Amino acid sequence: MTKRMPRRVLATCVLAMSLLATGCAKKAVQAPPAPPPAPAQAEKPPAPPAPEKTETPPAPKVIGSGDFEPAFFDFDSYALREDARTALDHDAKVLRGNADAKITVEGHCDERGTAEYNQALGERRAQAAKDYLVNAGIDGSRIQTVSYGKERPFDPGHDEAAWAKNRRAHFVTR
Amino acid sequence: MRRSLDSRTLRAALLIAAPLAALVARAQTGDVRIDISSGGGKRIAILCESMQTGGDRGARETSVIADTVLASDLANSGVFDVTRSWAGAPSGAEQAVVGGKWTVNGNQLVIDGEVHDLPARRLIFSKQYRGTLRERRRLVHQFSDDIVLQFTGESGVAQTRIAFCAPEGRNKELYVMDWDGEGIQSLTHDRSIALSPSWSPEGSLILFTSYRGGAGPQIFVIPSAGGKPYLISGRAGINTSASYSPDGREIACTLSLAGNPEIYLLDARGGSPRRLTNNPAIDTSPAWSPTGREIAFTSDRGGGFQVYLMDREGGNVRRLTYEVGNTDSPAWSPKGDRIAFVARTADGFDVYVSRADGSAARRVVSGGSNENPKWSPDGRHLVFASNRGGSFGLWVTDLDDRPPRKLDTGGRPALSPAWSPRLSASAMSLSN
Repeated sequence: MTKRMPRRVLATCVLAMSLLATGCAKKAVQAPPAPPPAPAQAEKPPAPPAPEKTETPPAPKVIGSGDFEPAFFDFDSYALREDARTALDHDAKVLRGNADAKITVEGHCDERGTAEYNQALGERRAQAAKDYLVNAGIDGSRIQTVSYGKERPFDPGHDEAAWAKNRRAHFVTR
Repeated sequence: MRRSLDSRTLRAALLIAAPLAALVARAQTGDVRIDISSGGGKRIAILCESMQTGGDRGARETSVIADTVLASDLANSGVFDVTRSWAGAPSGAEQAVVGGKWTVNGNQLVIDGEVHDLPARRLIFSKQYRGTLRERRRLVHQFSDDIVLQFTGESGVAQTRIAFCAPEGRNKELYVMDWDGEGIQSLTHDRSIALSPSWSPEGSLILFTSYRGGAGPQIFVIPSAGGKPYLISGRAGINTSASYSPDGREIACTLSLAGNPEIYLLDARGGSPRRLTNNPAIDTSPAWSPTGREIAFTSDRGGGFQVYLMDREGGNVRRLTYEVGNTDSPAWSPKGDRIAFVARTADGFDVYVSRADGSAARRVVSGGSNENPKWSPDGRHLVFASNRGGSFGLWVTDLDDRPPRKLDTGGRPALSPAWSPRLSASAMSLSN
């Protein structure tokens, strides 16, 4: 490889010189007007530089909505069940461990009440979850509530399995 | 307006008789002999004849449509049993015949509306309606309303519109249309959730709940003819279920700014909140009595949700009815004598009507889930949302033994209807 290299360089130089000579000769003659420049498409557009593949630097773990557990409710109720308290104990722990985290608690209902009543019921569910967290020592200013009533079901089904999933206080980080 | 002496006498007799609900009055003036009834009784058999045409040669084209609009208005009024002369032979039971002349000159329309009694064919009502051809649907609606007035002493409701919310994916947008499903128009297109529309007393504005602000449910107001929504209440917590007082000076609504859903009064621009309920339970869905002195609302203070009544200052709270289970969505009839509400069933809700004191509760709609009943301004009909047809749509009951009829909402599912008051000419939609 090292032996072949000078020969190739030499060849390139010869070619370049001959091209240069041709160019000079043409200049001496009365040359016809230069043809229009070749259309741009003939040229290969410069490829964008390949993105540098670097590894993502390590960062402190940021909590997301998925780190929280929803609290589920009985039909037409905003009383916290035992499983809801367990979920909220977990959520309080997450919030205690992430003092900067702020959350919105969404209150949701199944489809069986009226839209108006469910908005109020969803508000009570969100409020019940917030009150529990505040009682567990979380600063209330970190927790917003919003009621979606029956407007944003998690499961679009029309049976008890779907309804049970839709009666919830759901956590979203903000 | 030209009117015969007989007609005037008849009308006077009907004016006296009409308020006596369920009483079948028999007005007699010479040969004129017409049964009237109110609130679920027998209907008056009437014959609709095609209108004569005059003026431009193209008048026939529009008059044929006008004939069907008039016949369907009269049939949907709840007052008449309609025979269409162009679709079937009269039964012989018809007590009056409706028709007239349809004259088009350029873009000008004149309707000479006439009603004759049967079998004598004496003129009992005539009136001329003038306008542009584009106003033709409204002019026909006006003729229909006048015929209802002639026979019952109270104008019909063909010059009204219905607002509703249409689910679009995960969102709901606000729409409005004429009572017969024509002139459908979208009022919001913000890809948010619009709910619970309610008309201002003169019909120019619609209050509604929306998530468009991005901060949960807030109360907005929008011109009923279309325009920009304005924020009425965006206080902390929920802001929802708003309706104007009958004098338009106040708004009853549900707010949870104190941590719990309670009923408040706001001024018409959304300011100076005054709290009416004070109970750790849920209080929501306020509905004004037509005098503005009382408010019906829903509360779960007694366990499950129930409709309660209170006076406008929040005192004198009493439960509406003990006769049926969980109840919600109260709507006070325009004359104040009845309250419509929904009661929970295994499938959802049935619609009930009781007297204003809660007595004599009667189920008027069942099958599927039936929600948000709202009165027509004459108190003869309720519009409600129902999934009886599969997906949710709007239905109307005339509060009698006939099955509810479905409203055409342009093929889209629909929820949360609100019936407008009687509207001025400019507020009704134009024809194409």
